[in-house]
Amino acid sequence: MIMNRRYSLGTMLAFAGVAILWLALAYPSSAGETPSPDNDFCLGCHSNREAELVLPSGEKRSLFVDAETFARSVHGGKLRCTDCHSDISTYPHPPRSFKNLREFALAYHETCKSCHFDNYTKTLDSVHYALLAKGNLKAPLCVDCHGAHNISRPGVPKSRISATCSRCHQAIYDQYKQSVHGEALQGGNTDAPACVDCHRAHNIEDPRTASFRLSTPELCARCHTDEKLMKKYGLSTQVLQTYLKDFHGMTASAHRKEQGKTSVVTAVCTDCHGVHDILSVKDPRSSVMKANLQKVCAKCHAGATENFPAAWLSHYQPSPDKAPLVYYVRLFYQIFIPFVIAGLVLQILLHIWRVVVNR
Amino acid sequence: MARGGEQVISMKQQYWVRFSRRQRIEHFLVMTLFLLLAITGFPQKFFDMAWSQWLIVNLGGIDRVRWLHRLSGVLFAIVAVSHLAVVLSLAASKRVTLNMIPTKKDFRDAIITLRYYLGLSEEQASFDRYEYRQKFEYWGLILGGLIMISTGFILYFPIFWTGFLPGEVIPAANVAHSSEGLLAFLIVIIWHIYNAHLNPDVFPFDTSIFTGKISEERMEKEHPLEYARLMAADMEPSGTNEEDSREGK
Repeated sequence: MIMNRRYSLGTMLAFAGVAILWLALAYPSSAGETPSPDNDFCLGCHSNREAELVLPSGEKRSLFVDAETFARSVHGGKLRCTDCHSDISTYPHPPRSFKNLREFALAYHETCKSCHFDNYTKTLDSVHYALLAKGNLKAPLCVDCHGAHNISRPGVPKSRISATCSRCHQAIYDQYKQSVHGEALQGGNTDAPACVDCHRAHNIEDPRTASFRLSTPELCARCHTDEKLMKKYGLSTQVLQTYLKDFHGMTASAHRKEQGKTSVVTAVCTDCHGVHDILSVKDPRSSVMKANLQKVCAKCHAGATENFPAAWLSHYQPSPDKAPLVYYVRLFYQIFIPFVIAGLVLQILLHIWRVVVNR
Repeated sequence: MARGGEQVISMKQQYWVRFSRRQRIEHFLVMTLFLLLAITGFPQKFFDMAWSQWLIVNLGGIDRVRWLHRLSGVLFAIVAVSHLAVVLSLAASKRVTLNMIPTKKDFRDAIITLRYYLGLSEEQASFDRYEYRQKFEYWGLILGGLIMISTGFILYFPIFWTGFLPGEVIPAANVAHSSEGLLAFLIVIIWHIYNAHLNPDVFPFDTSIFTGKISEERMEKEHPLEYARLMAADMEPSGTNEEDSREGK
């Protein structure tokens, strides 16, 4: 009896352990009603180059998927068709009705978020998503920039990024590609900013707002205060400091703190140097070239005279060579102020001392 | 119209009227405008400091701070110019003498006083209506004020000035305006506050520039030459020195 009891207890424990293990293993497969088909199963039909669907709008949607293109894409060998097309697991497919191609794309536009959740949430803060939310169905979705079955690593080569944006922003791209940044990037220089370096990739801000405008100096300074990077091109990293110390920079900083509650506009980097058409300061066509500067100043300062541009020291610190008048006025006060104040303090101290002595 | 030299006899103490109503009003205006200019100017000079940013936000933003600064500056310029105009026209019509002009005596007084402070001599300078320290402060204010006003207007209207001056004048005016402003402020908080408040002779507050009155006792001690002259003039009302005791500047 005693032996039996002990034996049956051990058996029961073993059974319980096996049962728990079985449940744990069996649960996932028991949740899916049918196992997902592998890619070859889908390609059985979708490798047909002729397969297409005519939508109610009259647009045709090819149903062909090039297995080789997909295999070469970043997802090749990693994802199954049903990972993205998660609503389809059987044949015949469950009925879906799309009026046009855009509706079809929109229906899948959230499929990327199951893996790329961080970038997806960033897009929710973007000017593109704001357009979509307002009902503009042309606003770009993930696939419009990244592609679908042919997704390759973004930014390889870097110039591909700007080319991607140009598909919608052609006029700006045409300006940009002739700029000092655009030319360098096309020449294979990856130091040069592509669109996303200034505008960001997923959480693209509306660049027409006051807050974006006022953040411009900080944006440009990300590269233009980088000592190592600027040294490569013989550029000064003093540009931000000299700007911020001057009238325009101070005003921009103050307005930024006031969160743009002002109608007064002050110059930021791009107002003088240009935005997408920015050129090297050594380029004779540059807006900040001495010969062109009067016109640039006059954009805000109506009636700017020929001498007016020299009121701005072009990001130079005053020195005996550059702006000697400013340098020597500053030097004079650097000596004069301590001299006068020390003299007065000395006389006060002597007076107090004498008063104390007299008592 | 109050005049220096009028003796006011009260029950408690005897006073002399030292400052005319115009002088008192001028001082009040300069004091108020100076404070306003400092409050709206220093946050611009020391823009990076946290207190500057706090002040700018609480004054209603940089644009309003600048507007206030320019308004106060224009008013200050009006006060300065009208002061000089009034004094010069009064002097031209012989109603005042220009007793703020530094003389050889002032330099001698300064040396005598310094020697006395240093304990090198027991001799003390005896002063007339305005002593060398007051003249120093007055001319500091006038010359400093003229620098502030001229550089201020250069910064206010850069396009006009660069019509005939090189552009570099603008940042040079900026450095001069901001440095001269700092110097003026330091002189006021160190020198003027000492002489008008902390100086053991007047502590805690020399009220004469507000009331216009100075006590007989201080008059005799601090301005013995003027006192003696006024007393002499009292004896002989037709005395030739009388002008000096009238509205002085």
